[in-house]
Amino acid sequence: MPKNWPCRQVGVFLWSFAVFALAQVAPPLIAQTTTGVVRGTVSDESGKAVSNASVTATNMDTGQKQTTNTGAEGMYKLELPAGNYRLTFEAVGFKTFEISSATVIGTVPEVLDGKLERGEPVTGKPAPTQQENLPNAPSSSTTAPSLSDLGLSPEQTQGNTREQALLDKRTHMLKIHQRMGLITTGPLIATVIASMGAGGKSTSTVSRDLHVALGSLTGDLYGITAYYAIRAPRIPGTKKRGPIKFHEAMAWIHGPGMILTPILGAIAFDQKSNGEKVHGIASAHGPVAIVTAGAFGAALLSVSVKF
Amino acid sequence: MNKRILTVFLLVAVRAFAAADSQWFLQESTLTYHVSHPLHQTEGVSHAAKGKGVCHAGQCEFLIAVPVKSFDSGDSNRDLHMLQVTRGAEFPLVTVRTRLPESDAAAPSINADLEIQFAGQTAQYKQVPLKLEKQGDVVHMTGTIPATLSDFKIEPPSLLTMPVKNEIPVHVDMTWRQQ
Repeated sequence: MPKNWPCRQVGVFLWSFAVFALAQVAPPLIAQTTTGVVRGTVSDESGKAVSNASVTATNMDTGQKQTTNTGAEGMYKLELPAGNYRLTFEAVGFKTFEISSATVIGTVPEVLDGKLERGEPVTGKPAPTQQENLPNAPSSSTTAPSLSDLGLSPEQTQGNTREQALLDKRTHMLKIHQRMGLITTGPLIATVIASMGAGGKSTSTVSRDLHVALGSLTGDLYGITAYYAIRAPRIPGTKKRGPIKFHEAMAWIHGPGMILTPILGAIAFDQKSNGEKVHGIASAHGPVAIVTAGAFGAALLSVSVKF
Repeated sequence: MNKRILTVFLLVAVRAFAAADSQWFLQESTLTYHVSHPLHQTEGVSHAAKGKGVCHAGQCEFLIAVPVKSFDSGDSNRDLHMLQVTRGAEFPLVTVRTRLPESDAAAPSINADLEIQFAGQTAQYKQVPLKLEKQGDVVHMTGTIPATLSDFKIEPPSLLTMPVKNEIPVHVDMTWRQQ
């Protein structure tokens, strides 16, 4: 019993830590399943995009409303809690268009397009340009320049919902990567501290067991952290620049280090358990671990603090 | 005879009226947004704005558009994150509209009411102070738009679980040429 006691303590500690780590990662995962996306394009009878149209989603159960405006290409996006909604499309010079029922679920984006017919302007909420009678607010006169006057290329003016979805996924995964990286720092530091009693002339198996347990936890959490960075989608046409280049360069050091360190550690552990002095390639366990931990810390700092 | 005088008068009047119209073109621009985070301050700069002003009957209508993607903060990862939170792929342009009296071009400073479309939302900023410096046909304009993330329903991005401040003032430095 006395021999098992420290191991049980370590087990309880590790389980607590794992629960804490999951609690940190869980909110974005839960949020992903309870919030849905409604997106679409608002156009007129001829199929021409209607910009600055107001799109209002009203929750049928709670009566809560959320409004957005369409962009230059008539596109809109609403992030809504899962439920049943009524969608109202309004624009100056057009009749109000309504989708009486739409179900929003957490996992699949709902595409709902609005087709507006020309007619009496909406009489309810004024369009954003008319909301306030500012002394020198922009007018809707025919002399006002339009986007087509500015010589912008179609790539610069057309929205890309696919790219937006890719960006959303990338940010979601990198948020988890960032959070897991922070969590991993805890057991990583604890592993380094525990190593002081595990190596050298120490003959304590408890210290070694603790060091191994913490190291294993660090490795597991590191694996999850790395997964979310590696699997985050790349955005085509993006050239990497700035601190992120250093952050990624550090991964080429701490990545292999996180594989090599436990292998060398296992050899050192065996040698120590057999009553031998740590020798050969296993003696590199400490230095490799220090370089790995250092590169991990540098990677974390490079994207956190501006030097 | 009277008919001929009237015709000449009308032609002169039309020419004079047409001559009163003028246009302004954005020649150079630097737009800089400023983001504050507890750990550091960041600026994103764009020189890609395009703008035009059309003057008629003493009033000028201005439109300025800048691609969201053109803002460079020196870190591609941060720029992609900003692009995501501002829904820049879906709404790729920031547009600014304002109407000013033509006579304001000669004033050393003006207050402009701006209507800004960004991230699928429209916000209005009243009486934004701008400094002007006129040299011949060229006007150099500087000022700061007191924009906030909540004006455009943008969730403040966070780093190490700490969100950035809601205020994202945008410094404007533009050179307009009259034609």
